[in-house]
Amino acid sequence: MIGNDIVDLQLAKTQSNWQRRGWLQKICTKQEQQYIFTSGKAEVQLWQFWSMKEAAYKAHQRRFNLSRRYNPKNFQCTPKGEVYVDDYSYKTFTEIQNEYVYSIAMTSNEDYHSSVYDKTMNACSKLKETISEKLNIDSSLIHFTKNSNGIPLVHIDQKVIQLPLSLTHHGTYSAFVVSI
Amino acid sequence: MTKEELLSKLKTIITPYVQNEEGLTTLTEDTDFIKDLEINSANLVDVVLDVEDEFDIEIDNESMEKMLTVKASIAVIEDKLASK
Repeated sequence: MIGNDIVDLQLAKTQSNWQRRGWLQKICTKQEQQYIFTSGKAEVQLWQFWSMKEAAYKAHQRRFNLSRRYNPKNFQCTPKGEVYVDDYSYKTFTEIQNEYVYSIAMTSNEDYHSSVYDKTMNACSKLKETISEKLNIDSSLIHFTKNSNGIPLVHIDQKVIQLPLSLTHHGTYSAFVVSI
Repeated sequence: MTKEELLSKLKTIITPYVQNEEGLTTLTEDTDFIKDLEINSANLVDVVLDVEDEFDIEIDNESMEKMLTVKASIAVIEDKLASK
Protein backbone atom coordinates (compact mmCIF):
# COMPACT_ATOMS: atom_id res chain seq x y z
CA MET A 1 0.00 0.00 0.00
CA ILE A 2 1.11 3.53 -0.69
CA GLY A 3 0.56 7.12 0.50
CA ASN A 4 1.98 10.56 -0.28
CA ASP A 5 1.97 14.09 1.11
CA ILE A 6 3.26 17.44 -0.09
CA VAL A 7 3.95 20.65 1.86
CA ASP A 8 4.16 23.98 0.04
CA LEU A 9 6.87 25.61 2.16
CA GLN A 10 5.87 29.17 1.26
CA LEU A 11 2.25 28.57 2.24
CA ALA A 12 3.26 26.64 5.38
CA LYS A 13 5.14 29.76 6.56
CA THR A 14 1.97 31.83 6.61
CA GLN A 15 -0.50 29.06 7.40
CA SER A 16 1.20 27.47 10.40
CA ASN A 17 3.02 28.97 13.35
CA TRP A 18 4.83 25.79 14.33
CA GLN A 19 6.76 27.62 17.04
CA ARG A 20 3.52 28.33 18.87
CA ARG A 21 3.58 26.99 22.44
CA GLY A 22 2.37 23.40 22.53
CA TRP A 23 2.15 22.97 18.74
CA LEU A 24 5.12 20.68 18.20
CA GLN A 25 4.35 18.67 21.35
CA LYS A 26 0.95 17.72 19.94
CA ILE A 27 2.43 16.36 16.70
CA CYS A 28 5.95 15.12 17.39
CA THR A 29 7.44 12.67 19.84
CA LYS A 30 10.26 13.81 22.17
CA GLN A 31 12.83 12.15 19.91
CA GLU A 32 11.44 13.87 16.83
CA GLN A 33 11.44 17.25 18.59
CA GLN A 34 15.03 16.74 19.67
CA TYR A 35 16.05 15.79 16.15
CA ILE A 36 14.25 18.83 14.69
CA PHE A 37 16.07 21.24 17.00
CA THR A 38 19.50 19.71 16.53
CA SER A 39 19.20 19.28 12.76
CA GLY A 40 20.31 22.83 11.97
CA LYS A 41 17.29 23.18 9.64
CA ALA A 42 14.40 22.98 12.09
CA GLU A 43 11.63 24.22 9.82
CA VAL A 44 12.41 21.93 6.87
CA GLN A 45 13.02 19.02 9.22
CA LEU A 46 9.64 19.55 10.85
CA TRP A 47 7.83 19.58 7.51
CA GLN A 48 9.75 16.51 6.43
CA PHE A 49 8.55 14.62 9.53
CA TRP A 50 5.03 15.98 9.03
CA SER A 51 4.85 14.82 5.39
CA MET A 52 6.30 11.41 6.37
CA LYS A 53 3.61 11.06 9.03
CA GLU A 54 0.83 12.09 6.66
CA ALA A 55 2.06 9.82 3.86
CA ALA A 56 2.41 6.85 6.24
CA TYR A 57 -1.01 7.61 7.73
CA LYS A 58 -2.57 7.36 4.25
CA ALA A 59 -0.76 4.10 3.44
CA HIS A 60 -1.76 2.65 6.83
CA GLN A 61 -5.38 3.79 6.58
CA ARG A 62 -5.71 2.35 3.07
CA ARG A 63 -4.04 -0.91 4.01
CA PHE A 64 -6.56 -1.68 6.75
CA ASN A 65 -9.49 0.48 5.54
CA LEU A 66 -9.40 2.38 8.84
CA SER A 67 -11.78 5.17 9.78
CA ARG A 68 -10.21 8.61 9.85
CA ARG A 69 -8.31 9.74 12.92
CA TYR A 70 -6.16 12.73 13.77
CA ASN A 71 -3.20 11.06 15.42
CA PRO A 72 0.05 12.34 13.89
CA LYS A 73 1.98 11.67 17.09
CA ASN A 74 1.31 7.92 16.81
CA PHE A 75 3.30 7.86 13.57
CA GLN A 76 6.87 7.87 14.78
CA CYS A 77 9.57 8.92 12.33
CA THR A 78 13.22 7.99 12.33
CA PRO A 79 15.91 10.13 10.67
CA LYS A 80 16.52 7.21 8.27
CA GLY A 81 13.01 7.57 6.84
CA GLU A 82 11.12 4.80 8.60
CA VAL A 83 7.74 5.49 10.16
CA TYR A 84 6.42 3.23 12.93
CA VAL A 85 2.77 2.97 13.97
CA ASP A 86 1.56 0.35 16.45
CA ASP A 87 3.28 -2.85 15.28
CA TYR A 88 3.72 -1.74 11.68
CA SER A 89 6.39 0.11 9.81
CA TYR A 90 6.55 2.04 6.55
CA LYS A 91 9.43 3.06 4.33
CA THR A 92 9.39 6.65 3.18
CA PHE A 93 11.22 8.66 0.54
CA THR A 94 11.31 12.43 0.81
CA GLU A 95 12.19 14.97 -1.84
CA ILE A 96 13.23 18.34 -0.44
CA GLN A 97 13.19 21.36 -2.73
CA ASN A 98 13.36 25.07 -1.93
CA GLU A 99 9.63 25.30 -2.69
CA TYR A 100 8.23 22.09 -1.26
CA VAL A 101 8.79 18.92 0.76
CA TYR A 102 7.28 15.76 -0.72
CA SER A 103 7.12 12.31 0.91
CA ILE A 104 5.99 8.90 -0.31
CA ALA A 105 5.35 6.06 2.15
CA MET A 106 4.92 2.37 1.36
CA THR A 107 4.70 -0.97 3.09
CA SER A 108 7.59 -2.50 1.17
CA ASN A 109 9.66 -1.75 -1.89
CA GLU A 110 7.05 -1.38 -4.59
CA ASP A 111 7.40 -0.15 -8.14
CA TYR A 112 5.69 3.18 -8.31
CA HIS A 113 5.20 6.22 -10.50
CA SER A 114 5.08 9.62 -8.91
CA SER A 115 5.14 13.20 -10.14
CA VAL A 116 4.88 16.64 -8.60
CA TYR A 117 3.08 19.47 -10.43
CA ASP A 118 2.75 23.18 -9.94
CA LYS A 119 -0.37 25.24 -10.60
CA THR A 120 -0.30 24.77 -14.37
CA MET A 121 -1.02 21.03 -14.17
CA ASN A 122 -3.45 18.91 -12.26
CA ALA A 123 -2.10 15.78 -10.56
CA CYS A 124 -5.50 14.08 -10.76
CA SER A 125 -5.77 14.29 -14.57
CA LYS A 126 -2.09 13.33 -14.91
CA LEU A 127 -2.76 10.28 -12.76
CA LYS A 128 -5.58 9.33 -15.09
CA GLU A 129 -3.23 9.68 -18.07
CA THR A 130 -0.62 7.50 -16.37
CA ILE A 131 -3.12 4.73 -15.57
CA SER A 132 -4.48 4.97 -19.11
CA GLU A 133 -0.99 4.56 -20.60
CA LYS A 134 0.19 1.79 -18.28
CA LEU A 135 -2.94 -0.32 -18.53
CA ASN A 136 -3.62 0.63 -22.14
CA ILE A 137 -7.17 1.77 -21.41
CA ASP A 138 -8.97 4.80 -22.79
CA SER A 139 -8.80 7.54 -20.13
CA SER A 140 -12.52 8.32 -20.54
CA LEU A 141 -13.25 4.94 -18.91
CA ILE A 142 -11.29 5.81 -15.74
CA HIS A 143 -13.06 7.46 -12.81
CA PHE A 144 -12.06 8.19 -9.22
CA THR A 145 -14.38 8.09 -6.22
CA LYS A 146 -13.88 7.80 -2.46
CA ASN A 147 -15.25 5.20 -0.07
CA SER A 148 -16.91 6.06 3.26
CA ASN A 149 -13.50 6.34 4.94
CA GLY A 150 -12.34 8.85 2.34
CA ILE A 151 -10.05 6.37 0.64
CA PRO A 152 -9.78 6.86 -3.16
CA LEU A 153 -11.06 4.12 -5.46
CA VAL A 154 -10.35 3.65 -9.15
CA HIS A 155 -13.17 2.61 -11.43
CA ILE A 156 -12.45 1.29 -14.88
CA ASP A 157 -15.50 0.95 -17.06
CA GLN A 158 -17.74 1.01 -13.92
CA LYS A 159 -15.71 -1.69 -12.13
CA VAL A 160 -13.55 -0.97 -9.06
CA ILE A 161 -9.97 -2.13 -9.52
CA GLN A 162 -7.38 -2.56 -6.79
CA LEU A 163 -4.72 0.00 -7.57
CA PRO A 164 -2.67 1.46 -4.72
CA LEU A 165 -2.57 5.20 -5.28
CA SER A 166 -2.50 8.49 -3.41
CA LEU A 167 -3.06 12.14 -4.30
CA THR A 168 -1.96 15.21 -2.36
CA HIS A 169 -2.11 18.96 -2.83
CA HIS A 170 -1.07 21.96 -0.79
CA GLY A 171 -0.87 25.55 -2.00
CA THR A 172 0.74 25.70 -5.43
CA TYR A 173 1.72 22.04 -5.58
CA SER A 174 0.04 18.73 -6.18
CA ALA A 175 1.36 15.21 -6.67
CA PHE A 176 0.29 11.66 -7.29
CA VAL A 177 1.81 8.29 -6.64
CA VAL A 178 0.53 5.03 -8.07
CA SER A 179 1.85 1.51 -7.73
CA ILE A 180 1.33 -0.01 -11.15
CA MET B 1 -22.70 26.25 29.03
CA THR B 2 -25.43 25.37 26.53
CA LYS B 3 -24.71 23.46 23.35
CA GLU B 4 -25.54 26.61 21.34
CA GLU B 5 -22.96 28.64 23.27
CA LEU B 6 -20.41 25.88 22.82
CA LEU B 7 -21.09 25.66 19.09
CA SER B 8 -20.83 29.43 18.74
CA LYS B 9 -17.46 29.49 20.55
CA LEU B 10 -16.19 26.61 18.43
CA LYS B 11 -17.28 28.41 15.27
CA THR B 12 -15.28 31.49 16.29
CA ILE B 13 -12.23 29.29 16.93
CA ILE B 14 -12.28 27.47 13.59
CA THR B 15 -13.15 30.48 11.41
CA PRO B 16 -9.57 31.72 10.80
CA TYR B 17 -8.54 28.26 9.48
CA VAL B 18 -11.51 27.64 7.18
CA GLN B 19 -10.69 27.61 3.47
CA ASN B 20 -14.21 26.89 2.27
CA GLU B 21 -16.27 29.82 3.58
CA GLU B 22 -19.48 28.33 2.22
CA GLY B 23 -19.20 25.40 4.63
CA LEU B 24 -19.11 27.89 7.49
CA THR B 25 -22.45 29.48 6.58
CA THR B 26 -24.14 26.08 6.70
CA LEU B 27 -22.29 24.86 9.81
CA THR B 28 -24.03 22.02 11.68
CA GLU B 29 -22.94 19.31 14.11
CA ASP B 30 -22.25 17.06 11.14
CA THR B 31 -19.79 19.48 9.54
CA ASP B 32 -16.42 17.83 8.87
CA PHE B 33 -13.39 20.10 9.40
CA ILE B 34 -11.40 18.71 6.48
CA LYS B 35 -14.05 17.55 4.00
CA ASP B 36 -16.55 20.40 4.42
CA LEU B 37 -14.47 23.33 5.66
CA GLU B 38 -11.19 22.39 3.96
CA ILE B 39 -9.19 23.16 7.07
CA ASN B 40 -5.56 22.21 6.40
CA SER B 41 -4.64 19.16 8.47
CA ALA B 42 -1.66 20.96 10.03
CA ASN B 43 -4.09 23.66 11.24
CA LEU B 44 -6.17 21.11 13.16
CA VAL B 45 -3.46 21.34 15.83
CA ASP B 46 -4.19 25.07 16.07
CA VAL B 47 -7.89 24.32 16.50
CA VAL B 48 -7.04 21.91 19.34
CA LEU B 49 -4.70 24.46 21.00
CA ASP B 50 -7.28 27.25 20.65
CA VAL B 51 -9.95 25.01 22.17
CA GLU B 52 -7.60 24.29 25.11
CA ASP B 53 -7.03 28.02 25.66
CA GLU B 54 -10.66 29.07 25.24
CA PHE B 55 -12.13 26.44 27.58
CA ASP B 56 -9.12 26.07 29.88
CA ILE B 57 -8.97 22.30 29.35
CA GLU B 58 -6.25 19.87 28.31
CA ILE B 59 -6.83 17.69 25.29
CA ASP B 60 -4.86 14.45 25.33
CA ASN B 61 -3.88 12.50 22.21
CA GLU B 62 -6.75 10.09 22.56
CA SER B 63 -9.28 12.91 22.46
CA MET B 64 -7.45 14.84 19.75
CA GLU B 65 -7.73 11.80 17.45
CA LYS B 66 -11.49 12.26 17.28
CA MET B 67 -11.59 15.99 16.60
CA LEU B 68 -12.36 15.84 12.89
CA THR B 69 -15.97 17.03 13.08
CA VAL B 70 -18.00 19.62 14.97
CA LYS B 71 -19.95 16.90 16.74
CA ALA B 72 -16.89 14.99 17.94
CA SER B 73 -15.18 18.21 19.07
CA ILE B 74 -18.20 19.29 21.09
CA ALA B 75 -18.33 15.85 22.73
CA VAL B 76 -14.63 16.13 23.67
CA ILE B 77 -15.08 19.66 25.07
CA GLU B 78 -18.17 18.66 27.09
CA ASP B 79 -16.36 15.63 28.45
CA LYS B 80 -13.30 17.65 29.50
CA LEU B 81 -15.42 20.43 31.03
CA ALA B 82 -17.40 17.86 33.03
CA SER B 83 -14.26 16.32 34.50
CA LYS B 84 -12.70 19.68 35.42
